[in-house]
Amino acid sequence: MNRMPKSATLELNPALLEAAKFDQEPQWFADLRQAAWDQAPDLALPDFAKINYRHWPLLDFAASGTANETVPAEIAAQQDEYNFVSVSNATVKLTLPADLAAQGVVFCDLATAVKEHGDLLQQYLLTKAIKADEDRLTAVNAALMTTGFFLYVPANVTIKAPISILQVQDSRQASNFVSHSVIVGGDNSNFQVLQRVTTVGEEKNPASLAVEVITLPGSHVKFSSLDSLGEQTHAYFNRRGHLERDSEIDWTMGVLNDGNTIADFDSDLKGAGSHAEVQTVAISTGKQTQGIDTSVTNYGKHSEGNILQRGVLLEKSALVFNGVGKIIHGAHGAQAQQENRILMLSPEARGDANPILLIDENDVIAGHAASVGRVDQGQMYYLMSRGLTKEVAQRLVILGFLGVVLSEIPVASVRDQMIAMIERKLINGQRAE
Amino acid sequence: MATLKVTDLHVSVSDDEEKTQREILKGVNLTLNTGETHAIMGPNGTGKSTLSETIMGNPNYIVTKGDVTLDGESILGKPVDERARAGLFLAMQYPAEIKGITNAEFMRAAINARRPEDDPISIRAFLKELDKNIGVLNMSDEMTERYLNEGFSGGEKKRNEILQLMMIKPKFAILDEIDSGLDIDALQVVAKGVNEMASPDFGMLMITHYQRLLNYIHPDQVHVMMDGRIVKTGDFSLAQELEAKGYAGLRDELGLDVNLVDDDVPTGNGDE
Ligand SMILES: Nc1ncnc2c1ncn2[C@@H]1O[C@H](COP(=O)(O)OP(=O)(O)OP(=O)(O)O)[C@@H](O)[C@H]1O
Ligand SMILES: [Mg+2]
Repeated sequence: MNRMPKSATLELNPALLEAAKFDQEPQWFADLRQAAWDQAPDLALPDFAKINYRHWPLLDFAASGTANETVPAEIAAQQDEYNFVSVSNATVKLTLPADLAAQGVVFCDLATAVKEHGDLLQQYLLTKAIKADEDRLTAVNAALMTTGFFLYVPANVTIKAPISILQVQDSRQASNFVSHSVIVGGDNSNFQVLQRVTTVGEEKNPASLAVEVITLPGSHVKFSSLDSLGEQTHAYFNRRGHLERDSEIDWTMGVLNDGNTIADFDSDLKGAGSHAEVQTVAISTGKQTQGIDTSVTNYGKHSEGNILQRGVLLEKSALVFNGVGKIIHGAHGAQAQQENRILMLSPEARGDANPILLIDENDVIAGHAASVGRVDQGQMYYLMSRGLTKEVAQRLVILGFLGVVLSEIPVASVRDQMIAMIERKLINGQRAE
Repeated sequence: MATLKVTDLHVSVSDDEEKTQREILKGVNLTLNTGETHAIMGPNGTGKSTLSETIMGNPNYIVTKGDVTLDGESILGKPVDERARAGLFLAMQYPAEIKGITNAEFMRAAINARRPEDDPISIRAFLKELDKNIGVLNMSDEMTERYLNEGFSGGEKKRNEILQLMMIKPKFAILDEIDSGLDIDALQVVAKGVNEMASPDFGMLMITHYQRLLNYIHPDQVHVMMDGRIVKTGDFSLAQELEAKGYAGLRDELGLDVNLVDDDVPTGNGDE
């Protein structure tokens, strides 16, 4: 047998598929895995404009891994704040308030969903938002998924408090983190989800994380995420919304990983009057590269999609925002706006903000703005002339720059967490400079 | 008592395009003690802001000769933030605008920059002080929650500089044309704020074009600057004399060989 594949372009070891299987998988699910597995080698890697990630070990999965059953202390300490906590493939905590269960809300880990809510899951898993055969990375995610969650909120149910999820990628040893989650908002439902993804340990590992959000007519989902995977983790993210008539998703995503990352954040505005707000904050430090493709596709008449992204670069890092606005023929009265701005703090950093508009309809409103700039020295001088150190002044300017996104975050606790994480990342990055 | 001393200061600015340096200050001497208020007057383009910015530590100004000391110790090697924490403050002629940072948040950061890291000012103490000072300056609460100077009118910016001065309480303040752009009522309000700062532990250098400001904030000494030098020092009466004679008159009386921008203006054309 060949050595372990070392790059995203090599063949996969069949033992991986065996190892990924849940106990007593139903046939439909086993078939789904197998089909994806069979297709993967023939599918192309997805394109991320201006990012060459092909040599990253994104598919360099561990052939066998012994799971570490102990929950790290720093994770245990945060457990109370979350409804769901998983470390690697193990679900450590899962709570659903009784009144929600009584209303028919389903919330469980992926393995449980496959086993106990197969009929429901089967309707939405890789059928509407993401398709397994889109490209090699979606196929591998589908074939090897071993963790994730399923949240189903039935029609007309409103949930006030956010459902919060903490997923920990375990890099205390070689291990695979292939997560696939599905969120379904039933007709006219209304709720919020927070997904935190973080790493423990320093081993070099790949991570593949997909989230599908399907909003049925009239529903409204606020989805927030805070990603802080480790420096040695090579990560692929795919978060995709499928929006039906008059539904809305408000995405707020903090891409604050320490390692190389490619991320695909898409919203398919399928239904008439559907609406997506996509807000992203990304910070790159050290030598890392993060490439973020954010796209909104208007299919539905009078659908509206707005992208607002802010990125900050320190040290020798790179960050690319590709904002794709696509308006499909027939989407009369559609609106697509995007604004991507990047601030570079170091002369060695490389930032790129590319708006891409593909419009195939006439009576639409579309626009874009993009910029890549440096910190204004006049502003720095003014702040420092009041006694602020260079570091504090820089952080204020950066937080000010990110402010348009941060102030829009609908959930106050998420906003505070995001700001705290940004500050920590900036402080670490500044220390290294 | 603390002392800010400028000795034989020569300062150049560099012209990036022509790669040349131009000397702006040509040997300035000045001693300011806490408890004193000095005024500098002088024609446009003579180097008054250059002097202020150089004392504060603006990196665009290159000191080619001379020294600036605080209590005998040279501050020229220190970056602007260290000078600020050592007790200097410059109310700027053209304050920067910064989006995304609120005025209040900025002032709190400035106060905390002077305190030990583990002992920041309490929100209550900060707000109490802020309330008091915006009261003195007739400012609205809303101004403190707006982004730093963003969209502020000329007069609001000046008031905001004085608000920062009152919150930070430095040892020495340089006020660069704090009166320009202020209407007559606003001038009195700002002067009231500045006068509240008066103490044996506070020294002030005011740059102004108009004697009017000096009616409200009384200087102990008045310096006249021309062509990068202080050419005459006196008391309040020097300001009155200037108002009567104009800069050209003073220049001719002193027998200086200096070109003034508005040389053809008849003498005695003050603003009254
Ligand atoms: N950063 C700079 N770069 C280039 N030239 C400068 C710079 N700062 C000042 N100068 C020049 O130095 C000279 C003195 O300017 P300065 O601003 O010190 O004058 P001032 O006395 O404050 O004038 P005003 O009364 O108009 O405010 C002017 O000719 C000005 O153009
Ligand atoms: Mg000036």
